Amino acid sequence: MKTKNLRTLIAAAVFGVMTIGLVAGVSTGTLSGFGWDTIAALCPLGALGTMIATKTMIPRAVISLVIMAALVLLVGRAFCAWLCPTTLIYRIRDYFRSPKKRKALAEQKNAEIKAISQQELDGLKPAKDGSTAHACGACGKCQPLKHGKLDSRHAVLGGALLSTAVFGFPVFCLVCPVGLTFATVLVLWRAFSAGDATIGIVLIPAMLIIEIVFLRKWCTRFCPLSALMNLVGRFSRTFVPTINDEKCLETAKGASCSKCAEVCQFDINLRHPDFGELTMADCTRCRACVDACPTRAITMPLLAGKKAKGTVVEADPALEDLEPKLD
Amino acid sequence: MAEEKNEATAVPGDGAAEPKRTERGGISRRGLFIGVGSTVALLGLGGLRYAGHNPVNRPPGGTDEAHLVSGCIRCERCYEACPRKVIVPAKIEDGLLGMRSPMLDFNTGNYCDFCYEENGGNPMCVAVCPTEALELPASYTVGNPETGETGDIIIGTAEIDPRTCLAYRLTGCRDCYDACKYGAIELKDEGGANPIPYVIEDRCNGCGACQAVCLSLSSGSIKSSERAIVVRPIQA
Repeated sequence: MKTKNLRTLIAAAVFGVMTIGLVAGVSTGTLSGFGWDTIAALCPLGALGTMIATKTMIPRAVISLVIMAALVLLVGRAFCAWLCPTTLIYRIRDYFRSPKKRKALAEQKNAEIKAISQQELDGLKPAKDGSTAHACGACGKCQPLKHGKLDSRHAVLGGALLSTAVFGFPVFCLVCPVGLTFATVLVLWRAFSAGDATIGIVLIPAMLIIEIVFLRKWCTRFCPLSALMNLVGRFSRTFVPTINDEKCLETAKGASCSKCAEVCQFDINLRHPDFGELTMADCTRCRACVDACPTRAITMPLLAGKKAKGTVVEADPALEDLEPKLD
Repeated sequence: MAEEKNEATAVPGDGAAEPKRTERGGISRRGLFIGVGSTVALLGLGGLRYAGHNPVNRPPGGTDEAHLVSGCIRCERCYEACPRKVIVPAKIEDGLLGMRSPMLDFNTGNYCDFCYEENGGNPMCVAVCPTEALELPASYTVGNPETGETGDIIIGTAEIDPRTCLAYRLTGCRDCYDACKYGAIELKDEGGANPIPYVIEDRCNGCGACQAVCLSLSSGSIKSSERAIVVRPIQA
């Protein structure tokens, strides 16, 4: 089974079990506060928000934050690709796109990524005077890994926490797409089971659709939860997709490919990191690049090699040998 | 070796618009727009705090309205935990601020016994609340349906509307009186042909048993949006 389908299946199954729990009254919690009985793993943003709003240390919130930080350190933003219900909404949206539109979008993305790849390969071609036009840097292998500092998501996160501090309640929880997805199910269920009519039946899904469909690239540009995970994810060194340059079409054959960048749903360019909207700090371990690589050059080793080790390249003779010699 | 292959296959760029590197750390115009726009939107949303919302009956431990609003992250665990399923999400109609926060709906035909029967008087909604938005003082007593003790967790106070109450129409209805376990409803003209219920406010803890059984909306042709006896939230 393709990992993409597996991910959809897992996200759908988890969402299904939680919503059944919600309507049947089995205490599984939702993704905002998952758990059993008095045990709960809280949403890290919710945990932060509620502590800022009440200005108290809440034991379960602190424990949840620590657990979530540890998980993100281990598998990055895997939540986003494997569990978040917005993934399901995106798949539904894609399903309803006409084949023509789908094709046009795919071609556009392909052209963009190919252009980057070609430009970088051209850059490697020695100029007439014999020196290369630029160092072999852009492939990201032999240059320090830059983890972007902060982007628009962090501004949203800051705004959410600021508003929470000023007004004393977890403001973002009102509009969180994860919460709204569960709320949609609950409000619809109540409408049918208890005849509970409310404008929420229209308004809650409407807010969700505005966020996910009309605010382009919610996950990459808006989501404060993704911003929070990015802050920890940048220190993750486990299961990071790594290209074997001896197999990669671009480094081994000099052919423009960048299929890995083309399929990345989270706007990371694995081959030419400088050109991705996000960096490896936001890798969701979705395995799309691993699946797409025509030469199977990408793996997700338990521990990443030197490339991902911080922002400064350290000399490591063992790994040096693996790098393309491009003097 | 790789270099040689590059030379062989790479074609010079045709001078078309070159893809740009994403500037790290720099603020793009779009980033600024999203950041400022979202912050303003979230601050505006925060302003709802001052708009407030209609008072609703909160689950045990949620009667400190300001604390509940501060702590609740809408995780929906209390709805699941409630053994009697009387906790429902508050509607948008009662105010955006309180939307999806927990409230008690006694029109479901059930009421809150503070989990006396199900959990020995430890309300399960309070136990599962991960953010302590529902919180009870260190020591408390809950209403005891066996002894009729009111307890010190007060959800609200029952109120009878004489215009819609069937007993006031001399039907002899005394369902709420029969349902109350705390002696908070007494009858005028008890034993007479037409007993009429009234609420002893001091003894009422707002458990909602009376509202849960009230027939006024389901029998008779009464035009009203609510039952003849309803629990009004206590105003914090």
